[in-house]
Amino acid sequence: MSLSRGSWAGWSLLFLLAAAHASAAEEYSFDASAFEKKPFEIGGYLQLKQEDFALNRSGAFYKLGNYNQPQRDSLDRTTETMELIGKVRQGIGTFDFHTHSDMQRDQLAHDHTNLLYEGVYSIRPDPGVTMEAGKRTLRWGKGYAWNPIGFVERPKDPNDPELSREGLVMANSDLIFNREGPLQTIAFTPVLLPVGKDVNSDFGAPGHLNPAAKLYLLYRDTDIDFAWQGQGSRPGRFGMDFARNVTSNFEIHGEWARIQQFARPVTDSAGRVTTEVGNATSYLLGLRYLTEKDTTYIAEYYRNATGYSDQEARQFYQLVDTAFAQLQQTGGSALLPKALSLSQGSYGRPNPGKDYLYFRAQQKDALGIVYFQPSITAMMNLQDLSYQVTPEFLYTGVKNLDLRLRLFMLRGATLTDFGEKQNSRKLEFYARYYF
Amino acid sequence: MKKLLWLALCLVVLPAAAAIDGTQILQKVDRNLEPESYETYRKLIDIQPDGSKKEYVLYTLKKGRDKLVALFLSPASDKGRSTLRIGDNMWLYIPDVGRPIRITSLQSVTGSVFNNADILRVDYTAEYNVESVEEQKDTYILSLKAKTGEVAYDRLKMWVDKQLLLPVTIEAYAASGLLLKTLRFKDIKDFGGGIKRPATLETDSPLYKGYKSVMLWSALKKATFPDEIFTLNYLPRVQELRK
Repeated sequence: MSLSRGSWAGWSLLFLLAAAHASAAEEYSFDASAFEKKPFEIGGYLQLKQEDFALNRSGAFYKLGNYNQPQRDSLDRTTETMELIGKVRQGIGTFDFHTHSDMQRDQLAHDHTNLLYEGVYSIRPDPGVTMEAGKRTLRWGKGYAWNPIGFVERPKDPNDPELSREGLVMANSDLIFNREGPLQTIAFTPVLLPVGKDVNSDFGAPGHLNPAAKLYLLYRDTDIDFAWQGQGSRPGRFGMDFARNVTSNFEIHGEWARIQQFARPVTDSAGRVTTEVGNATSYLLGLRYLTEKDTTYIAEYYRNATGYSDQEARQFYQLVDTAFAQLQQTGGSALLPKALSLSQGSYGRPNPGKDYLYFRAQQKDALGIVYFQPSITAMMNLQDLSYQVTPEFLYTGVKNLDLRLRLFMLRGATLTDFGEKQNSRKLEFYARYYF
Repeated sequence: MKKLLWLALCLVVLPAAAAIDGTQILQKVDRNLEPESYETYRKLIDIQPDGSKKEYVLYTLKKGRDKLVALFLSPASDKGRSTLRIGDNMWLYIPDVGRPIRITSLQSVTGSVFNNADILRVDYTAEYNVESVEEQKDTYILSLKAKTGEVAYDRLKMWVDKQLLLPVTIEAYAASGLLLKTLRFKDIKDFGGGIKRPATLETDSPLYKGYKSVMLWSALKKATFPDEIFTLNYLPRVQELRK
């Protein structure tokens, strides 16, 4: 076989192109000028989420949420979300904003939400001094799934601890002092949080300007916070947290909080509600451990003093059962409004119990696939031994795209925390594109 | 006469050989790589076995021997994340999480072959003691041992260019003696202000066969900063420091 002059030229050109490509692949360039600070910046993400619920028709929260709807075994929900995050700079001042919009559709309802998560103006007359006013999300505490000292924030979802949350309208400041010696950093954060009919109305009783403060210390390589919130719209409370790396791959953390004269509504199975008032001391102990094979373990124990014991929760679930038995027998129930009202309060929180254990294991670059992270999360109510297990797959290998698949499996006997939830299983998938 | 010449030669050469001070060489390597306090932009490129790439851009500030902050400017999915290192302590701030969490030197905030100890590297003299120096034709080979168990790599073997006193290759070992990764410094560039150093760092690891990560430097310059910047409370505001 012989090659003509033309075909040799073709092969040579191809070879040169391939060589040039290989060479280009090995040479890198970087010009930082494209990354200079701009007076206006905007970014955010678009997310499409699909959730398929297997409904727990015998569960108390299914009955309370669906008694006036056609009964069904499953529900498919689609949620489109857009969050915009940006800032406008002028002089020593910055305006930060964070908006959240979503649209939900399932077989029962269509709904949409538009919220300003954050909108705050800050000035920094000095690197150690920041003053802010507006709507801001503060997050206090060191816990991964729960934060007993999160005094001036909306509650975290332990099923998605890293999800952004709506802030509260407040004025706050940040004063930072650095020094040599074992106490390296002192930072003080005072907060004033107004509550009125139209401002922070879900925080507590209106007509108060609630003071709060946090003092942070970095002392001998340990993070320590002391937090306080004065009595006002809510009972007064104080607490502390700490976090420390014991070794280069092992971290421990903890939180402790006391709420003074906390009022806790407690019902019996006949719907008689009493309000117990007393000091409530909650705490959390946790650890994070990284193995040589890049597996991260997170474990936390949470003692929730504002929650309900196994016996107390059981009374509430029995109340719901009685209310629905009455409804079926007579077509009406005097107990149902009571049960509904309690379920919208502290009995209906994501974690209404007193003792929880949280465990998560996640594997980086599993199966030799970079950016593929499977994980498994378990949450258990230690008093009634009901639990939830969530295997998860996360892939972030495509630029600016996160793909996550999770399956929630809830297990528990009747009259238990996870056994009485609205669904017994949930499959969730989302694709999130950042821009 | 020959004996006298040998004696004279020994008197000249021996003190010179004995004068090789590994700690001094390492101190010079530290200062030749970067001023003690500086700001710079870096690009991290992770290259997968199939050739696909993921890139990150970081704005980095360092003060003193062991204080460093790095802010992610790109890609959009990581923009606004910032990391702080003070000595052996490391934290990661994720805007949505809203509060800094402690991280460890062996993890990687980018998921690349570079781990946090590479991305948030402080002075070698802050973390390592020089155990021995071997002189070769063009290089010194320094054997370094971590000062504490907190340091990511127990031992480093560093090839240093004798003339430039800059690292050429570094092998990083675990306490077990396992080779964790090899770092190769390339592309000497004049950044101005008397800073002339490699602008490219490549790494690969026998633990991640076929994967490679590259770090590129741009706009590296001396700078001074107040101490308050290197605190957890300042992490959400680091991006305001950029010009």
